Amino acid sequence: MSRRSVDVRGRKVELLEQGSGEPLLYLHGHADVHGVAADFQPFHRRLAAAATVIAPAHPGCAGSAELGEGITFDDVLFHYLELLDALKLDRFDLAGHCVGGWLAAELAVRHPERVRSLTLIGACGLFVPGHPIGDIFMHSQPERGTDFRTLRELLFARFDVPAALRLYPDGRGDTEEEVRRYQMLRLGAFIGFKPPYYYNRALAGRLHRARMSALVLWGEHDRMVPRAHGDAYAAGLPKAHLEIVKEAGHAVAIEQPDAAADAAIAFLRRR
Amino acid sequence: MENAVKLYAWHFMAWPYLPPDFDDRYDSGWVTVPNSLFDRQKARGLYQQYIDQLVAADELGFDGMVLNEHHQNIYGLMPSPNLIAAALTQKTKRGKIVILGNLLPLQINPLRVAEEYAMLDNMSDGRLIAGFAPGAGPETFNYDVSSPIAREQFWEAVDLIQRAWTEPGPFAHEGRHYPLRYVNPWPQPTQKPHPEIWIPSSRSTETLIKIAQRGYSYFLSSRSHGSETAKAQVQFAKILADHGQRFNPFRMGILLSTYVAETDEQAKAEAKEGVWYFLKNCLKGHVRREGRQLTFGAGIPYFSVDDFRSYLKFTDPTKPLLGDAEDFDDLVRSGSIIVGSPETVYQRFMDILVHAKAGHLLIQFHMGNMKDALARKSMRLFATEVAPRLRADSAKLFGREFPEMERQLAPEMAK
Repeated sequence: MSRRSVDVRGRKVELLEQGSGEPLLYLHGHADVHGVAADFQPFHRRLAAAATVIAPAHPGCAGSAELGEGITFDDVLFHYLELLDALKLDRFDLAGHCVGGWLAAELAVRHPERVRSLTLIGACGLFVPGHPIGDIFMHSQPERGTDFRTLRELLFARFDVPAALRLYPDGRGDTEEEVRRYQMLRLGAFIGFKPPYYYNRALAGRLHRARMSALVLWGEHDRMVPRAHGDAYAAGLPKAHLEIVKEAGHAVAIEQPDAAADAAIAFLRRR
Repeated sequence: MENAVKLYAWHFMAWPYLPPDFDDRYDSGWVTVPNSLFDRQKARGLYQQYIDQLVAADELGFDGMVLNEHHQNIYGLMPSPNLIAAALTQKTKRGKIVILGNLLPLQINPLRVAEEYAMLDNMSDGRLIAGFAPGAGPETFNYDVSSPIAREQFWEAVDLIQRAWTEPGPFAHEGRHYPLRYVNPWPQPTQKPHPEIWIPSSRSTETLIKIAQRGYSYFLSSRSHGSETAKAQVQFAKILADHGQRFNPFRMGILLSTYVAETDEQAKAEAKEGVWYFLKNCLKGHVRREGRQLTFGAGIPYFSVDDFRSYLKFTDPTKPLLGDAEDFDDLVRSGSIIVGSPETVYQRFMDILVHAKAGHLLIQFHMGNMKDALARKSMRLFATEVAPRLRADSAKLFGREFPEMERQLAPEMAK
């Protein structure tokens, strides 16, 4: 695994890279590399067996610079186009989790010719009536000052598994992990509140443009982005295949790294 | 006594009819507290009672009445303080009407606030003090406001309103958040160049600099007054000095809560129910560890990353907060709600004044479910037995410490 910084028109972008073969741009979510963890997790490392995984930290996350005042979702999309220019990536596989999945889907409908394949893992971005996306902001406020059980319940199938407790411990955690968590919430607050919460009503009607092969990978018990969103992505994307991972919640790649990696690798080898 | 401390009565207008087992059964008094607990029959006459208490404060000679804005909680039943202010313009004659403040990012267009405040200033014949606040603590949840965007919107809105009150219209505003082709509000405020502007803030350096640059007054939003209050004063004074201004007490206000009765023992006995209702219910979800705090923290990410690092460094999430107080001794230790005889209350207020050097004391008399008669008696005793001494001694204190102090509150007002 290598860690490096890329200069994108004067802005620093931190990225992790591992593997060989075709490039795969991986856009992270909350309970994910850069969103809380400093390094690739077992899922990302396994994915590197099937592609060169390139995982930039979003603007303002981990070591990447903030975009500055007044940033919108559109600014972050353009930031990624500029990063792709800087990396000289013309055509690539694309994967994303949570907010990163939303960004991936929005890139795919705009530039389908550049995206060889699309992997969406517990991706937000769609408005599905009656199935609201969970409020990660409220659950990031502890109960009794120190208790993050409901945050772990939102993100994991079981709140008391070691991975959940390691990434989202009660009380004050490691300062750098607290800061990474905070940075991701701050980005989410900038780009995810208008319209209200982590979706774009127009996206569903645009999915038909993303004609590449797509894998929609969902945790059986995702309480952050309910399963209905996985169904909606699978129905809206022309060549999508929905795969449900058992005994996993929103952080499916953290909770079931092997099952998630098996599904993703098999998909990438098929495409 | 031109240099005497200004004393204001602040009413939060709490919902006073929660069931006795509220604390056991409900997580929060904020945002998620079910409004099925709002009893429409019991609510009849409640606003009238609260408004009448403020009218009584005006008649007792307080320098003003303070209102603020809250949404979807039992802490304050004033989603629109401007409506209460409008009633006060018609029922009071002399005191200032302080709105602290309208939450600007909740407005579709902040010109609405420029207009309503100008109306209130006219209706009160120039008695409005115009407070502006960014909100977006609980408003993250109850109004789906993005807290970091709200901070950006806030200062654009403040500057637009001041410009709308001082620059001849129509003019165009080329703002990022509120671009407007014709800014030309009718009416204009009565006070020239505009009503005094107060901005509440904790101790954010960034905010204090913006307050200083604009010549506004700083209201320290804290319910406890230990050494932090003195630090805030020193910090603000230094920032003013950096901007070529000199601190005077009338650039700063603080909130105090009090209950005054004939003796210390009587005060504790009479205040107990209201104070504990306030601490356990109204502060649940705000400054109490029990339940889920919804007013600041990582889920409300308006701090810059650097500020968040200092927040992590200087706060301890296991430490009790004001609402965790268990007895009157805890309250004394936290330098918060002051309960006692006129002598005790005078002493404690003077102690705070010596350290805080704040010229505006915004005083909460009604707490939680306090009975009307008790709140009124406490205000009356304060006005007759505490206020005269505070005014006399604060004038001496401020005169000694700030000999060059001008009568004017802010440099822009002296023009």
